[in-house]
Amino acid sequence: MKHRMVVLVALVLAYGAVPLLLGSMDYVMSLIIAALTIGGVALAWALLGNLGGLVSFGHAAFFGVGAYTSAILVVDHHWPVLLAMVAGGVGAAVASVATMPALRLRGPYFALAILAYGHIFRILAVEATSLTGGAAGMLSIPGFPTLLGINLASKTGAYALILTIVLLFAWLYGLIRRSTYGLALRAMHDSELATRVVGVPSTHLKAAMLVISAFMTGVVGAFNAHQINFLDPEYAFASSWTVLPIAAAIFGGYRTVWGPVLGALVVFLVDQLVFKELMPSGHQLVFGVLLGGMVILGPHGLLPLLGRWSKKEASHAGA
Amino acid sequence: MLELDAITMRFGGLTALHAMSLSVAEGETLGLVGPNGAGKTTLFNVISGVYAPSGGTIRFGGQDVGALPQWKRAQVGIGRTFQIPQPMRELTVRENLRVAQRFGAGKEDPAALDEILDLLGLTHKQHADAATSLALTEQKALEVGKALAVRPRLLMLDEVLGGLEMATKRAFARTLETVRARFGLTMVIIEHDIETIKALCPRVVVLNFGQLIADGTPEAVFNDPQVIRSYTGDTPA
Amino acid sequence: MLELILQALYSGLLAGGYYAMIALGLALVFGTMRIINLAHGELVLLAAYVAFEMERSFGWTPLASIPVALVVVGLTALVIYLLIGRIRQDRELNSLILTFGIAIVLTNLILMIWSADIRSTSNSWFMDGVVLGDTLFSMRGEVIFCVIGVLLLAATYWWLNHTWQGRALRAVASNRDAAKLMGVNPARIEALSFLVSGVLATFAGVAVYTASVVFPAVGHNLTIKAFVITVLAGMGSVPGVLLGAVLIGVGETLTTTLAKPSLQELTGMVIFLLILFLRPSGLFGRKGMVKK
Repeated sequence: MKHRMVVLVALVLAYGAVPLLLGSMDYVMSLIIAALTIGGVALAWALLGNLGGLVSFGHAAFFGVGAYTSAILVVDHHWPVLLAMVAGGVGAAVASVATMPALRLRGPYFALAILAYGHIFRILAVEATSLTGGAAGMLSIPGFPTLLGINLASKTGAYALILTIVLLFAWLYGLIRRSTYGLALRAMHDSELATRVVGVPSTHLKAAMLVISAFMTGVVGAFNAHQINFLDPEYAFASSWTVLPIAAAIFGGYRTVWGPVLGALVVFLVDQLVFKELMPSGHQLVFGVLLGGMVILGPHGLLPLLGRWSKKEASHAGA
Repeated sequence: MLELDAITMRFGGLTALHAMSLSVAEGETLGLVGPNGAGKTTLFNVISGVYAPSGGTIRFGGQDVGALPQWKRAQVGIGRTFQIPQPMRELTVRENLRVAQRFGAGKEDPAALDEILDLLGLTHKQHADAATSLALTEQKALEVGKALAVRPRLLMLDEVLGGLEMATKRAFARTLETVRARFGLTMVIIEHDIETIKALCPRVVVLNFGQLIADGTPEAVFNDPQVIRSYTGDTPA
Repeated sequence: MLELILQALYSGLLAGGYYAMIALGLALVFGTMRIINLAHGELVLLAAYVAFEMERSFGWTPLASIPVALVVVGLTALVIYLLIGRIRQDRELNSLILTFGIAIVLTNLILMIWSADIRSTSNSWFMDGVVLGDTLFSMRGEVIFCVIGVLLLAATYWWLNHTWQGRALRAVASNRDAAKLMGVNPARIEALSFLVSGVLATFAGVAVYTASVVFPAVGHNLTIKAFVITVLAGMGSVPGVLLGAVLIGVGETLTTTLAKPSLQELTGMVIFLLILFLRPSGLFGRKGMVKK
């Protein structure tokens, strides 16, 4: 009951208070939209990391494929934007099927094989000039439509759209996590033999998580393409789309549903508002320090750390 | 129900099972005994699909299951336990059984889980963490519970009574008998304690050096000179 | 056409010399610690920028800056080693994230100190053409560093097989516990492998600066290349590393000649994936990368 109240208040604040208070500040809204975009990818990355037990260094691949699929469908085939975004997710999911042979590799090799796929997809995007416009990219990609009287192309509209996407994904993630599929996936990390012997097709389940994670990433990539109305291979497959979500997910705690999203908001906003001002070039250094620091100081991310501290405080207070 | 024909298992230069043939009839309870290293656990691993045998065929319920992956063997009705309990970490006792039931038996059935928990005396621990908060007997019970939740036709128990005190062991053996009758199971039991074997198993087979050296009633088998020799350490002729 | 192909083979062979230096450093650390150091390419890059700084500030030839680069890169490698030592659980994956983070830090530090401009040696002696048998062209720097690369590889090979430390390192790589029983301290051997990896990275970095060009993003590509070669070699065989490096070098130059330069990177990636899927123990190795 208390939990529900918290969620309700958070929803009202997210959909109501944020646009009302900040809606007029274009720059701040752009930052929040970008942070949520990264949060969406971070959520997808964490789903694969937490439930699939797979660390990926190549989510930029799915981001780029989603962005290009959607942009090409809208520009060349005049699909409606929102439908094309879903197709972008499907495109990324199909691309993830190509990466499936990597599932039989052990952890670090999987991570790096996916990275290789990212490079391959980027090169293909450059080479397939007739489809993608090559290195020059695609200009004036149509933006979002007006839906139910809300102009989604406005800053506030785009914010509401990406917020809805992220919330839907978080809900889906939570649903999977609580199901027997989620239980089996969580158990697989430490006890793969124990799960297989009771009939869990562990490789199939991991593959399913890979497809879902790629789909989510592709939808977010498509959102980004229609929001900034421009694409080129260097941008769409940039390593930032891998680095930032990993930093966000690890900072926020990738074993929880909300950690990656909160992590993205904190990490990205602090980076843009503080560190970018302090050091205009090279401020991404902070992400490196963050990743290294989290691994050494708290391998489960920030949220569990906070939990531990608050528990400690509570026990102090009780004593 | 289970027919093994000329099963051979080699690990590099070591042959753990030598062209072994064995059949187990429906409803039978078979005791599997033999000295350490005789190949008993290897046989379980081959039947349940942990290892692919180097040669031979495995038929279960008339179907050749030799090519099925491990998880599918569970789904066709082969349940097993491990000598060292393998709980699914991070999950509670009940969640362990839920996963086994959902994937092994194909659908969730809370009432059936309640019954298994009750039969094995785990009801009061069903929400406890499976990896950290169980006593040895409870860990063994959970091991059996996971195998039962799969709704097996064949249940293979690998020293599930090992390491237990005599009184606990007798009680657990009675539980196994109840479970067998309740679910109409065919069972194969690896066990070192001869009294327990005699109490549970009308038929016993003895393995030594990866070969089947005796097959019969407990009385006949345990008086066989070759079996006695195998336990005193002589190599087979 | 034949001439072009021969030229491509020759250039690829020369590139293989310094690719091998880069890859062997990564492979050594992987062998002893089971850790893929994703900051390895940045170590190479750091050496290149030290050479650049010495040349710009004091007019030193790149070869003279090697001792300075050795100190800088060696110390950085040790810091990475010490940081990895702080990891408490799941070292295989956490070290990947940690060294990934270190790579980002180093790239951005280089960006801040030396900017994003493309740098290369201005020493014309290294850029003079050397013509082999009338037709095969190369720069003097390429030849010199290919020879240095092969010599260093041979020296490392000899060191691994004929010195006490080298044998201890191989012992740790093949069986840690047995090595302990033999009185080897694995922690010291691991630190040693990082140092040797740093030495190789230093020479490789000065080679890259002299025979090619550098900019901050190059480090990431070098790490990937080194990893690809290591996978080809099958983790931990010195001749395998050399062969893998030559294969990649030749593959890249042939792609440039026969197809187009923009596909060069694709060659390495496709070879990499093919090897991972078809022959996961590498072309010359036995250690598995596939799950049991």
